[in-house]
Amino acid sequence: MKILIVEDEHKTGDYLRQGLREAGFVVDLSRDGTDGLHQALEESYDLVILDVMLPGMDGWQVLHGIRKRGLQMPVLFLTARDQVEDRIKGLELGADDYLVKPFSFAELLARVRTILRRGRSGTEPTSLLVADLELDLLRRRVARGGRKIDLTAKEFGLLELLMRRRGEVLPRSLIASQVWDMNFDGDTNVIEVAMRRLRVKIDEGRDVKLIQTVRGMGYVLEAPEES
Amino acid sequence: MLRSLSLTSRLTLFFTLLSAAIVLGLGVIFLVASERHFIDLDDIVLQDKQRLVGELLAKSSSTQDAQVRLKEALDHHHGLYVLIKDVHGRVFFESDDFNLPDATSLPEPGSTPKSLRWSSRERAYHGLAQWSETNLGASTEMLILVAIDTEHHTHFMAQLQHTLALYAVLATLVSGFAGWFAAHQSMAPLRAMKSRASDVSGQQLNPRMPVEAVPVEMADLANELNRMLDRLQQDFQRLSDFSSDLAHELRTPISNLLTQTQVALSNRRDADTYRDILASNAEEFQRLARMVSDMLFLAKTERGLQLPSKELFSAEQEVQALLDFYEAVADEKNVRMSLHGSGNILGDRLMFRRAVSNLLSNALRHTKMAGEVCIEISDTENSTKVSVENTGDGIDPKIMPRLFDRFYRADPSRAQPDSDGTGLGLAITRAIVEAHGGKIEVSSVQGLTRFTLEFIKVSQA
Repeated sequence: MKILIVEDEHKTGDYLRQGLREAGFVVDLSRDGTDGLHQALEESYDLVILDVMLPGMDGWQVLHGIRKRGLQMPVLFLTARDQVEDRIKGLELGADDYLVKPFSFAELLARVRTILRRGRSGTEPTSLLVADLELDLLRRRVARGGRKIDLTAKEFGLLELLMRRRGEVLPRSLIASQVWDMNFDGDTNVIEVAMRRLRVKIDEGRDVKLIQTVRGMGYVLEAPEES
Repeated sequence: MLRSLSLTSRLTLFFTLLSAAIVLGLGVIFLVASERHFIDLDDIVLQDKQRLVGELLAKSSSTQDAQVRLKEALDHHHGLYVLIKDVHGRVFFESDDFNLPDATSLPEPGSTPKSLRWSSRERAYHGLAQWSETNLGASTEMLILVAIDTEHHTHFMAQLQHTLALYAVLATLVSGFAGWFAAHQSMAPLRAMKSRASDVSGQQLNPRMPVEAVPVEMADLANELNRMLDRLQQDFQRLSDFSSDLAHELRTPISNLLTQTQVALSNRRDADTYRDILASNAEEFQRLARMVSDMLFLAKTERGLQLPSKELFSAEQEVQALLDFYEAVADEKNVRMSLHGSGNILGDRLMFRRAVSNLLSNALRHTKMAGEVCIEISDTENSTKVSVENTGDGIDPKIMPRLFDRFYRADPSRAQPDSDGTGLGLAITRAIVEAHGGKIEVSSVQGLTRFTLEFIKVSQA
């Protein structure tokens, strides 16, 4: 998976490149709009991450240039300005997502993965399996090591999210948005409580803990040997 | 050009011109009337004299007798002149000093009497010429012209004109000055307002327009200006509070982060310690980021811009979604949550969720173990109310007024970074409700705390 970052702010650009590389992507970084557009047109990328305020050409113009050439790769905007008009403008121009600075890296990574997954069509699995934890999507049943676990509807949704995105660190805001449809910075304490309760049901009394807290980032579900 | 004149000058000019026109008009009417009156008087006198001369001629037995009698009579009538001619133009009688210009056209025999006016040697005359029957000479018809010297009238009229002109000038000047004075006095409140206005600046927004001291016509303006100043002052205050609050709230966490990072760097440590410190920093940064975005959200909402979106949604559905979200937290504390009633709200769904979410979060935090949180939606004709009630210690009446202030925390110990909230929740809730044109109320009686959000219904149009 190849990603192009167009970001003029030095530190932000460097950290984004490093973070995304460590997450397993091939990353190119461009420091201004004109170069960015050129590079986007020359090579083929799976995703472009665009800053709005750029020297040379602003993010809107770069996006416009990309779409004018008929290139349909997804574009994610980064901006310091949180204006509704900006958001609408970006979406009208064909942006796929929009992230307001300051954002957490975990959030960005989660969004990047969501966008990249969107393109991939495949047969929808009927069950998810991580180590000995099994989630049956059709019968909405969960079992670990063959023993059935009782979950509430929201707990099931939460576990499904974690299992579908196994190995990914999911920030609290993303969890709140995906599981409860709470699309604002609300009370993150709620997520902590819900996670704690889920962990008690999934991991308590087991040698292998599947759900991990990554301090300062969020939560991840993975089998120990995967990490 | 008139546009550039001051109001005072305009009024002064107007008064001056108006009074000049009135006085001049009156003067002219007076002069014309006087003159006509004099002429009428003269005409009566002249007719009288005509009759006198006619009678005199009739009484006379001969031409000489007539001439002698006329001379005698004229001696007693100073300023009366007589000329008598026959049909052939021969002068029968003429007074001394009688200077009728030669060119004067006299009436033909048989015609009506004719009034004559002329002047000669700087004296003005008024005469009446008339053909009359006499018994004298060959021809019986004679032209009798009697005239009087009207110099004293002319003199009087000239003096009257003079006096009137002088009066007109004086009256115009006086009324012009009075006009200026009146206008200048009336503008005094405006000058007072101007001097007040010049005192107003960003640093000094306290001066207000003098409302009692100005006339009613200006009181409205002064009141409106004062209201404008009030609004500006509030906005300014809010802005400066905003900056100082923000600076204050950011200072502590930033200085903590700085100290912690510098201490960490001052010695070699193992990887786990570094990871710990970075994670703790990340948490703190997240809190800061949330605070900044909350502040921005609050600023935008308080600025009263248009709502991001407007749709009619069901309040109970949104609240139910929030109850699902908070279910785990309530369960932990064994708090029972309940929802009653239903109603629709026209507004921004996400903002509504956020507003109620803040209330629920607070309610759950302040409810004791096994307490109760009750949400009630009531739909009336004019508004939809959403109230969140919880059992607990209640709110100290002393802190009620400050409850919705930003960064205000009822419990000072919560002001520490380990608390999750940014201290903006209730301020945001209030701003959201107000952005929807509604209001928020709070009451706390005997351990029951109740926040009520009232959303005003607007017609579907």
